[in-house]
Amino acid sequence: MTKRVWTMPLRKLFAVTALFILSVNTVHAELLIRITEGADSAVPIAVVPFSESGAVPPGDKVGDIVHSDLAMSGEFRPLPAEKMLSLPSRREEVFFRDWRLLGQRYVLVGSLTRNGDRVSARYELFDVNTEERLLGETAAAPASNIRSLAHHVSDKVYEAITGVPGAFSTKLAYITLDRFNGKPRYRLQVSDVDGKRARIRLESQEPILSPAWSPDGKKLAYVSFETGKPVIFVHELASGNRSAVADFPGLNSAPAWSNDGRSLLMTLSKDGNAEIYRMNLASRELTKVTNHWAIDTEASWDHTGDGLFFTSDRSGGPQIYHKESERAAPRRITFGSRYNARPRPDNTGDFVYYVHQRNSAFHIARTNLDTGEETILTRTESDESPSVSPNGRMLIYATKQGSDSVLTVISVDGGAAYSLPAAEGDVREPAWGPLVR
Amino acid sequence: MIGHEREVTSTGVSPWKSPVAMSVTLHLLIIGVALAGWTWTSPDHEPPPRSISARLITQQQPEPSPVVEPVDQPDREEERRQEEQKRKAEEKRKAEEQRKEQAQREAEKKAREEAEREAREQERKRQLAEQRKKEEAAQAKEAARQKAEAEAKERERRKAEEEQRRKKEEAQRKAEEEKRRLEEQRKREEAERKKREEEARKEAERKRLEAERRLKEQQLEALAQEASEAQEAEARKQAQAAAAKAREAQMLTESEKYQALIRERLSQAWYPPSSATEEMTARLQITLLPTGELAGVKLVGSSGNTAFDNSALSAVRSLNRYPIPDERDTFERYFRQFTIEFNPRRLR
Repeated sequence: MTKRVWTMPLRKLFAVTALFILSVNTVHAELLIRITEGADSAVPIAVVPFSESGAVPPGDKVGDIVHSDLAMSGEFRPLPAEKMLSLPSRREEVFFRDWRLLGQRYVLVGSLTRNGDRVSARYELFDVNTEERLLGETAAAPASNIRSLAHHVSDKVYEAITGVPGAFSTKLAYITLDRFNGKPRYRLQVSDVDGKRARIRLESQEPILSPAWSPDGKKLAYVSFETGKPVIFVHELASGNRSAVADFPGLNSAPAWSNDGRSLLMTLSKDGNAEIYRMNLASRELTKVTNHWAIDTEASWDHTGDGLFFTSDRSGGPQIYHKESERAAPRRITFGSRYNARPRPDNTGDFVYYVHQRNSAFHIARTNLDTGEETILTRTESDESPSVSPNGRMLIYATKQGSDSVLTVISVDGGAAYSLPAAEGDVREPAWGPLVR
Repeated sequence: MIGHEREVTSTGVSPWKSPVAMSVTLHLLIIGVALAGWTWTSPDHEPPPRSISARLITQQQPEPSPVVEPVDQPDREEERRQEEQKRKAEEKRKAEEQRKEQAQREAEKKAREEAEREAREQERKRQLAEQRKKEEAAQAKEAARQKAEAEAKERERRKAEEEQRRKKEEAQRKAEEEKRRLEEQRKREEAERKKREEEARKEAERKRLEAERRLKEQQLEALAQEASEAQEAEARKQAQAAAAKAREAQMLTESEKYQALIRERLSQAWYPPSSATEEMTARLQITLLPTGELAGVKLVGSSGNTAFDNSALSAVRSLNRYPIPDERDTFERYFRQFTIEFNPRRLR
């Protein structure tokens, strides 16, 4: 009996202790579910056509432009307007349940108002699930510049959702080729990212190559054969003034602006072998950056502005190399195939994009600079001239469509492709302009 | 027991009532008769004093006479006396007393007169001596006869007395015997009582022992039962623990199943923003209703990137109904409240 009497409290004590431990454990062992993968598909978003009041110019509709901008990014899947149950333009008119039923994640509503010669847009972005307003702004633009207003809205929406600045207000530079009066006609053009509002900056019967944007977006450097040989020009867009900065014997090609816009990297063969030089634009002073018996070309500054990527066939075929600084020893980046050229790093330093040949087809590929992992991003087979958007999220490149060359925009991870409407003939050598504030 | 005592007392009283009382009353009667006889006979003795010659004899004579007379008197006076006794028992005693006193006084007076008379008659007596001697002889003869008679009577009386005594003794003996018998009976009864008592005591003791034994047995039984119950309880507990463990395991697998389902659903619902990096982690505490509906979500750990946090919140909010186990316990244990961590490992 006494034993029992003694053991019972002890047992209770154990039980209590066990309970305590259990409860402590459960507190610490609250279920944790880790989500490491997201949806493969694009984000569903409803861009409701903006309501208009006053004499808003006919033609392009802001909602349509935002819709196509977001679609072009490959990251969004805008809902076609005809599927919308209602067309709200302000919060009070938004029934989130409807948008949830439509499977939408976000909904953008807004209205345009004409104020004199300006049009102002008031717009709001909502998360359909949390019913929170992520964005609410008013922006204005000249009535003639509604597209810019629309691209601005796209940028804001994109940034609000993705956390990355939008690049829809940036410009593209590219070269078109057609025939005019039986002669080839090369034209340097600058357009919006969606290919609209293209303007011809230079026209020539000789090839124009490798346009490169200055960091401030006000100048272009390019190679023109107008003199019968390749010469690097710097072209001021606003004024149309241009000057030949590199007209050395042999090859003058592949210009690339430094971050401060004061110097250009370029490939020169004035000494017999193609090497990479840096030219101080003010003094036209050249600094030899590479020195190798093999061809070194297609230089591009990395995201730090100190190092550079370039193509070299010092290994026997073209491969991508990286120098952490002008004086550092080059490090080979690509090993996946016998042909890897035209490197274009992104603005984060995570990836480098380039043309990659495999099985006699040319694709755009990227290599993760941390892991060395190579990913082929395109399925087309004659891809060239990749250029990364300044926000590092999109990539434009030239590819063949039938006999013609067209420009295609993809998201940097190889998502949905968006082909720019080709005006006429071939379109090649695209260059994505910088973000301009 | 009390009955016995009563019996004893009653039997003890009865002997006193009958033989002893009887003898006492008999004695008293005899004495009474003797006294009465004595008073009645005294006047009869008056004539003898005339014959003054025999002073010494007269002195001697009164003794046997009362003895002789009373024997006859009772017979005569018997009926009257019995009647008188009834009528005036009290009066008689008083009269007797008076008479006694009077008799004494008269006797004293008579004695004085007799003495004078004696002296005068001395002469006459001497004269008559011869005559008297003859008379004396006759008288002696008579006396002897009387004496023999008295003696016979005395013998008879003694015999009666003896008989009486014998009877008394017999009665006493009988009483004693009775007493002894009673005593024996009492003793026997006492013994019997004692025996019964003893037996009762023994029985009580036996019963007590039996009760004790039974109690002990009961206690033992209770102990045994308790022990077996404890054992059973222990076994039950162990079984329950095992079942709980099994259930827990089941719950765990069940929980894992639904964890996987939730993970899948959220993975499909989550659109990691472009700005997401593998270093970003958003922790959200989820509270569900037993229907699987979201009761609440709280950002308990920000990734530092608003778009990322928002994407996670949106994903969590996008599910109309969370896949949760039907088992309420499993739900309560794992899915009533839990944490979801959004941390991209494989960016597009």
